[in-house]
Amino acid sequence: MSVATHPAAHHDAALLWHQIRYEQLSFWRNPQSAFFTFAFPVVIITIFGLLFRSGSGSSYFYGLTALQYYVPTIAALSVVGSCYSQLAIVLAQRRQDGILKRVRATPLPAWAYFLGLLAHCIMVSVVDVALIVGIGSIFGMPLPTHWAAIAVTLVLGAASFCTLGVAVASLIRNSEAAPAVVQLVLFPLLFISGTYLPIHSAALNRIAGALPVRPFNQALLGPFAQHTGFEWKDLGVLLAWGAVGALVAIRRFRWNPGPR
Amino acid sequence: MTVLQRGQLKTAPGSPAGSAVVVAGLSKSYGPVRAVGGVSFTVEHGEIFALLGPNGAGKTTTLEILEGFRTRDAGLVEVLGTDPGDRAAGRALRERIGLVLQDIAVEPYLTVRETVARNAGYYPCPRDVGEVIGVAGLAGQERTKVRNLSGGQKRRLDLALGLIGNPELLFLDEPTTGFDPNARHEAWDAVRALRGSGTTIMLSTHYMDEAQALADRVAVISGGQIVAEGTPSTVGGRDHARARIHFALPAGYAAADLPVHGAAGDGLVTVQSTEPTQTLHQLTGWALQRGIVLDQLTVDRPSLEEVYLRLTGHDRQVMERSAR
Repeated sequence: MSVATHPAAHHDAALLWHQIRYEQLSFWRNPQSAFFTFAFPVVIITIFGLLFRSGSGSSYFYGLTALQYYVPTIAALSVVGSCYSQLAIVLAQRRQDGILKRVRATPLPAWAYFLGLLAHCIMVSVVDVALIVGIGSIFGMPLPTHWAAIAVTLVLGAASFCTLGVAVASLIRNSEAAPAVVQLVLFPLLFISGTYLPIHSAALNRIAGALPVRPFNQALLGPFAQHTGFEWKDLGVLLAWGAVGALVAIRRFRWNPGPR
Repeated sequence: MTVLQRGQLKTAPGSPAGSAVVVAGLSKSYGPVRAVGGVSFTVEHGEIFALLGPNGAGKTTTLEILEGFRTRDAGLVEVLGTDPGDRAAGRALRERIGLVLQDIAVEPYLTVRETVARNAGYYPCPRDVGEVIGVAGLAGQERTKVRNLSGGQKRRLDLALGLIGNPELLFLDEPTTGFDPNARHEAWDAVRALRGSGTTIMLSTHYMDEAQALADRVAVISGGQIVAEGTPSTVGGRDHARARIHFALPAGYAAADLPVHGAAGDGLVTVQSTEPTQTLHQLTGWALQRGIVLDQLTVDRPSLEEVYLRLTGHDRQVMERSAR
């Protein structure tokens, strides 16, 4: 029972695997949440596919077809939705319900709890992106070639938006306000970042380029549509935002529900 | 009864190294409100210790400091030899204690068995999942989803989660609030069985009967301070309190005719006595001489509830006076 016997690496690895498995089980056991998590990006990309099926390259989409533009931006949108929005709302809710306090009552270390959530978010992101790419190819979008760049961008983006989600959950006091706060921050950001419509203002692009969503879009647009591979500068900005989120989360995250 | 003997071995707070819980001079304020002001007590290994007090007396604050959920302003706190405020030692301590919190909070979509099995994986030497489900009184519910459990069953699941890590020390925060009488007695049996297997238990409650039925020792907390400590039968001077002899006033006699001084009211006479044997002898001798029957004759001492009300009520008056 002494401290020295069990924080062995294999024990911690087994603990993490245990936590990931049960986090997955909780997610798949709620069929509604599982369905809607994946339904949203599928519906959006299908609508865009039907709208822009026979488009050719245009200067409005920087020489790309509409679908070449929207497959990466909607892929980014789905990752932001499941990592940032969902995670912030779920954590605020779990805290208010006292579930986080119950987790804190066990010896499960905080890092294992959060890595379990991160693994879950990456899993959802990968499934989302696979669905979007699959549906895009049905509408004539060629499959991308730079898979390594896509994988790295996806994992880095998911991790960064997860830390931002945890950071926002740390700053929200009331779980009922969580969806409103999360959307209030996100919606304008998505617009100026060109997620729904390409932005042709150099000034706006400079501003959005320093915020987290546009770099993620750009880092996916490169390998998906322009076959350019790694977009290091954009990945750097994403990483910086991930670090900011992590810092806020570590300093401000609370497990106890606030006074009602 | 061994229970009483153990309780009488009262130890000075802070001194013994071998106690399960040591609290000395613990203070905690929320802004200008002093929730706990200089609380001291110890919990010995293998006993059931009850922290008894009205809502807002400081029970939960004290417990949450011991459980590591809250920081303290001042005082010494040791749980199994570890400071619960020490984050670095938190994981090792959590592996040795079990917590049953006041609020029910578990993921709604897992089954009972999955929920307990998940938490079992967090501990180095957990108890058997099926066995713990049985001990908590949930046998047969293993495959029920948590959201479909009744309120009482969810509390039992919470108890199962508190036990699964095979704790040396179990904290129970108002464990049977909202239980029906049958469920309470089952829960009490489960808690006694745990003590029987060597687990130390610290519980908070505002139910007198719960403290009376379970606890080896009781500390009454009121206004953030311990106002009395002892076994349920000695706390607040219960054992030294004057015995009370009640009987119906015989027809045709007035209270002044009695050989002992008594207070009449509601048709019953109450005689308080420090020497109940002698008083009873006088009284019954007097009645026998006259061929009188003393109806409804009883002898008792103040109940734990009366002692508790006196202790906590008195404390409130003192506080109100000093606030003025």
